[in-house]
Amino acid sequence: MKEWTKQHILGIKDLSRDEIELVLSQAQAFKEISQREVKKVPALRGKTVLNLFFENSTRTRTSFELAAKRLSADVINFSSSTSSLSKGESAVDTVKTLNAYHPDIMVVRSVSSACLYDFDKYTQASIVNAGDGQNEHPTQALLDMFTVKEIKGTLEGLNVLIVGDIRHSRVARSNIFAFHKFSSQTTVCAPPTFIPYEFDKLGGVEVSYDLDEVIGKADVIIMLRIQQERQNSSFFPTIREYVDKFALTGARLAKIKKDCIVLHPGPVNWDVEISSAIKDKVHPLILKQVENGLAIRMACLYLVGTNKR
Amino acid sequence: MKILIKNGTIVNADKIFEGDILLSNSKIISVGKNIPESADKVIDAKGKHVFPGFIDLHVHLRTPGREDEEDFLSGSKAAAAGGFTKIFCMPNTNPAIDAESIAQWIIDESLRLGVVDIYPIGAITKGREGKELTEFSALKRAGCLMLSDDGASVSDSLLLRRALEYSQMENLLIVSHCEDIRLSGKGAMREGVISSKYGIRAVPDIAESLIVARDIELAKYLNKRIHIAHVSTAKSVEIIERAKKQGVKVTAETAPHYFTLTVADVEKSKFNSNFKVNPPLGDDKDVAAIKQALGKGVIDCIATDHAPHSQAEKELPFDVAPFGFIGLETAFSLTCTYLVKNKVIDLGGVTEKLSANPAKILGFKQCGKIEKDADPSIVIADLNKKWRVSAAGFHSKSKNSPFLGEELLGVIEYTIHKGKVVYSGSNR
Ligand SMILES: [Zn+2]
Repeated sequence: MKEWTKQHILGIKDLSRDEIELVLSQAQAFKEISQREVKKVPALRGKTVLNLFFENSTRTRTSFELAAKRLSADVINFSSSTSSLSKGESAVDTVKTLNAYHPDIMVVRSVSSACLYDFDKYTQASIVNAGDGQNEHPTQALLDMFTVKEIKGTLEGLNVLIVGDIRHSRVARSNIFAFHKFSSQTTVCAPPTFIPYEFDKLGGVEVSYDLDEVIGKADVIIMLRIQQERQNSSFFPTIREYVDKFALTGARLAKIKKDCIVLHPGPVNWDVEISSAIKDKVHPLILKQVENGLAIRMACLYLVGTNKR
Repeated sequence: MKILIKNGTIVNADKIFEGDILLSNSKIISVGKNIPESADKVIDAKGKHVFPGFIDLHVHLRTPGREDEEDFLSGSKAAAAGGFTKIFCMPNTNPAIDAESIAQWIIDESLRLGVVDIYPIGAITKGREGKELTEFSALKRAGCLMLSDDGASVSDSLLLRRALEYSQMENLLIVSHCEDIRLSGKGAMREGVISSKYGIRAVPDIAESLIVARDIELAKYLNKRIHIAHVSTAKSVEIIERAKKQGVKVTAETAPHYFTLTVADVEKSKFNSNFKVNPPLGDDKDVAAIKQALGKGVIDCIATDHAPHSQAEKELPFDVAPFGFIGLETAFSLTCTYLVKNKVIDLGGVTEKLSANPAKILGFKQCGKIEKDADPSIVIADLNKKWRVSAAGFHSKSKNSPFLGEELLGVIEYTIHKGKVVYSGSNR
């Protein structure tokens, strides 16, 4: 296996297949630790991890925080909503300011797409992207892959189906790039208003507007969260019509392959993307994703925190 | 004071020849061979090219309101360093240039500073809000020659119709910033594979061409003049070309970044806010169409859309940073590097696009050419020399340029305006 050399994890776009495999195998090792009685390892003792969240996300932040603590790192949480940014301090100012604490790793969640690529001008720390606008959410894609590999035993040659608001989804983008690196094909399925312009030219992506037509051949289904306010911007007329065309219901669940996996980055809007009638069937796997997310984030922090660059 | 420029290669739009130029502060006294050295100052221009002073129909000088980003003096110095002796400043200031007193004040300031001529472009609507017309006659009386709501498009077609009609009375030229603001929304870059790949809100190219088409239809219907600002797309070029063939009274400008940069450069810059501009950078097809349109005369002139922004504003993430970058000091060299060297236009074309055609659009009969009795505004440049764009070299107060670090061909050595050297030296 290759050695890890990347300083940052900014997106799946910049990771090679080997690097993804390295994260997954490292996560496997950490997952075993999480099942022990003493869950802590001294891997990042003496290192400082700064959770810098410009957008609220208790779930992702908690996952990163716990991951850092399990690795014995010191953790600082800094949350700054958009309102304080509009007072004149930019994200860059905040990074410059917090860099004075000499963090080893900055975990950054931002509302702006593609805004992390030049953060290394302002800090020596390794940067781990915890979601940047609608661009990427690499640790989410990595944990999805980890979960798929755990169940399927492989990431190759799969038909992945992503359903929902593709346009505004960093999870969709990261997963598409990730599965493409393993020669798996992704189909995105949504109303055309949710498909970005020329998306089929991206590589590794097919577009469908008919869930019933494509659901039967999927090996993996990722259901995305629908934000109800999109209805006001005319992306779709009503939730009722969206549910009718694109929700995962009992009837649709009956059409999927026997060994098909259903994932959701959470939190689920029950009865919007997924019918609550099938909650018992899909929820256990979604909780498994949360557990795997911890292992993946430990792996990411460990790899960027200890690399010999 | 009289200045004699010796042995330069004089570049008029239609003719290039060697000669001397003797000028005073009011006019060019004579052009010819071996003019006797009776002047106060003699400049040896052997091996150099001599152009009539450039005219920029589209700059943002940020004054009044954001004097920290640019003021009339720094903007004038940047213009002079770029060879521009007449610049037209857009009214998207605070307050907007929508009243006689503000327009008059700008002209007074320009005369007081005495570097280059600054002309105010009056707003079409009060506060540039797109609701009520400004006092066109009063703005004309103060010295405005053109009107625009630049930065904003006049969305209301009826209001634009009224503006086109009413402006005729004062022979004011309406300059249209063409953008369907519902389609462009909060877009930060051109819509396409790259915007989709990075999840960045984007602007379709038709957000420009739809309004270009509407404005041209209005001008055609009313038989009035219209000038299209910063043309950036192949589709707009096609519409303008067709209209010109039909005899519609339309003129058009483009900016240097639309024949040099594409959306691929935005990605390559890692979404550096210095590459964010409105209209956004297009693709290879657009650049090719813009170049061809300049070559064929479909696009009449090059204007900079000089748009200074503070460091803090440009440190904002790409999707929320303000649009635009500075351009006065790079326009000439970009024209040499990307158009002349690649034979898109010839040297006469430089004079045509940067001086003669803007003069024609404005009706400035004594500008845009070097001949006896013409305007004594001159640019002397060394076309064999290169220079590297750097923040420290800019005279503008703002340093936001997508060309930082790039090596460009064509160094301006002197800019003379009204018989006075307003810029000299290769202190870059
Ligand atoms: Zn404009």
